[in-house]
Amino acid sequence: MNRSAAFASLIALAAASAVQAEDADSAAFRDAFLSGEADWAAVEARAQEEGTVNLYYWGGSDLLNVWMDRVVAPALSEKGVALNPVRITGTKDAVDLVLAEKNAGKGVGEGSVDMIWLNGENFATLKRQDALLGSFAPLLPNAANLEWNPDDERSLLNLRDFGVETGGAEVPWSGEQYVCAYNADRVAAEDVPATFADLRAYLEANPGKFTYVKPPHYLGNTFVQQAIYAHNPDGTGAEPFQQSVDQIEAGELARLIAPGLDYLRELEPLLLDAAGGTPRYPEDNAALDGLFLNGEVDFNCKFGLYAVATGLSTGTYPEAAQQFVFPEGTMIKNKNYLAIPANAPNPAAALVLADWMTSVEAQASKLQMTGMPSGIDSWMLDAAGAQAIADASPGLVGVTQDALDANAAPDTNATLVDVIEATWLEYIERDSTDPIEAIVARAYKNLSK
Amino acid sequence: MATKSDTSLSSRLSPFQRFYLIVIAGFILGPFIPLLIQSFAFRWAWPDLLPGTWWLEQRGKSMMPLAWDYVLSPYSRVWEATVNTVAIGLIVTVICLAICLPAARVLAREKFRGKSAFEFFLSLPLIVPEAAIGIALLMMFIRLGLAGSYVGIIVAHLIPTIPYMVRMLTAVYQGLGRDFEEQAMILGASRWQVLRLVTLPMLLPGVVAGALFTFLVSTNIFLLTFFLGQGQIVTLPTLLFSKIAGGTLDASAAGITLIVTLPGIILLIISERFIKEEAFGKGFGN
Repeated sequence: MNRSAAFASLIALAAASAVQAEDADSAAFRDAFLSGEADWAAVEARAQEEGTVNLYYWGGSDLLNVWMDRVVAPALSEKGVALNPVRITGTKDAVDLVLAEKNAGKGVGEGSVDMIWLNGENFATLKRQDALLGSFAPLLPNAANLEWNPDDERSLLNLRDFGVETGGAEVPWSGEQYVCAYNADRVAAEDVPATFADLRAYLEANPGKFTYVKPPHYLGNTFVQQAIYAHNPDGTGAEPFQQSVDQIEAGELARLIAPGLDYLRELEPLLLDAAGGTPRYPEDNAALDGLFLNGEVDFNCKFGLYAVATGLSTGTYPEAAQQFVFPEGTMIKNKNYLAIPANAPNPAAALVLADWMTSVEAQASKLQMTGMPSGIDSWMLDAAGAQAIADASPGLVGVTQDALDANAAPDTNATLVDVIEATWLEYIERDSTDPIEAIVARAYKNLSK
Repeated sequence: MATKSDTSLSSRLSPFQRFYLIVIAGFILGPFIPLLIQSFAFRWAWPDLLPGTWWLEQRGKSMMPLAWDYVLSPYSRVWEATVNTVAIGLIVTVICLAICLPAARVLAREKFRGKSAFEFFLSLPLIVPEAAIGIALLMMFIRLGLAGSYVGIIVAHLIPTIPYMVRMLTAVYQGLGRDFEEQAMILGASRWQVLRLVTLPMLLPGVVAGALFTFLVSTNIFLLTFFLGQGQIVTLPTLLFSKIAGGTLDASAAGITLIVTLPGIILLIISERFIKEEAFGKGFGN
């Protein structure tokens, strides 16, 4: 957040004199499509004229890279569009690029990013900077595969991304849940924790055998959020954290998150390598997978509904890995999305790609080849479609879908994530002696700058 | 003497020298051993000395390409990255030479006001952090439409390579002196003949060394390529970074790491032979 904000403001400063311009033809097409005047055949025809689509996505997974080249590229070339899959190291890089180009005065039809795979903070940043194409998702033919009715509770993940309204500016691509795995060779079934109190009891008996990804990585942030939900002093779990910073006072937020953060602070001396003085937090999921495979930790908590099945097929998980329900009642569930930036050079081709990605065919092959859960809603599909998705699943190992659904919890509002992340860094990493109220108040002030 | 030097050299080493040699070799070659093993592994967990499951055992069972199958497949982009890296390196080297040869000649032979300040100015790019240069260039290049293009990357690579090249060539020119060229002119050689038959052959070792160095620097630049390529132009360093940024090294990352070292090693082998036989042999030889 801070890095991209600083970067963006630097660029904005340099480009302050630039005039906002856009390609008139692309702008006319965008307006026609978003107002519902362009029919889908016209979109497909224009996509063929545009010829290519630049998809920016995190390229750290071999499985996903193979799927893009082997499945997505041929499917799109049948539609007369060449896929240019740009593998990036961090999604923020693509967001920075979009913002830099926007601030340099590049409008629709003139940028270089047609589509980004993202969620949470990155989407919130693009939305705040008004750098999204518009409400395209409900207009796609395959939007029928998604629940858009706000009266249906299940539509929440399509309408809100980390509490931020998607407004149709991004289309769901994959659904995930934060699921932990344990190594059955090292942990007896009766010792497997179900609550945060169980986890501490386990670590008191087996110090150093657990760690979580370091915030501000989203996997670390999510673990912290779950601890906060579970220790909510009002017992209302995730509920108050759906509000944005504008709706909740700093003092009130501090009261709600204090018990969770205190728990994490007390847990710290029991984490990996803490006996040697400094606890070790892995930088990302790959590093955590390495620790889990090597038996340095007994548990691996991350977004990974099918992580065990996939990890066994690629050799990145130990053979005895099993999933389990933890923490009871607060297993965060969310989706990740495909967004089209405001300055997409090929808006029609991006729409065609977004539509194909939400098809049953795409979702089933993605699930089968990469283990990434389906992002479309099974109850909206016909019987054959729902069956195709079910058949493609690599399967859960040691837990049932019903148990996961029963313990699901929603994400924290993206604006609160920033505050909680800053508080964690201050209170836990830097061991600040200030009370949590002061730290949260400071984070509020920094955020409003 | 020369005939028995091969055998007598090693036997003349003291025990300490031999130990020292082994330690140095261990430092250089040591890291490659786990890398090589990892590149053939499927599951290699602590505390196993060797992988518990090898890639070849799993090869038939997996529907996705693993380890070397992935590295050598088009999915990994290794070939594209290699071609990009070598092509950019060659072009940068040629342009760098064209800029630095005349500049070095003047710096070595002429005296002018502010010369030392100018020399300091030339080495500034080595002092300013690469990230600062990268961000500033990116802002300019986006406006100029050069971001994400080969031209943009080549221009950016010239910035850290020119200071090295100028310094190396200046030193060579200083060692050369004007006498040889004047001698040839007195004997009736034309300017072109002087350049072709006297100056260039004598400069050759320095030029080759400078060119090799420039090429190696260019092929290893990560940050500038990463900023200005915007992920659209893949080179070996950016490909490697995106694979190992996670902090773990799986089989395909290990394979890519090994491939990334190849251009440098091949070049060093070629240059060893070339500098010894071609340049020194013909340039200064009997």
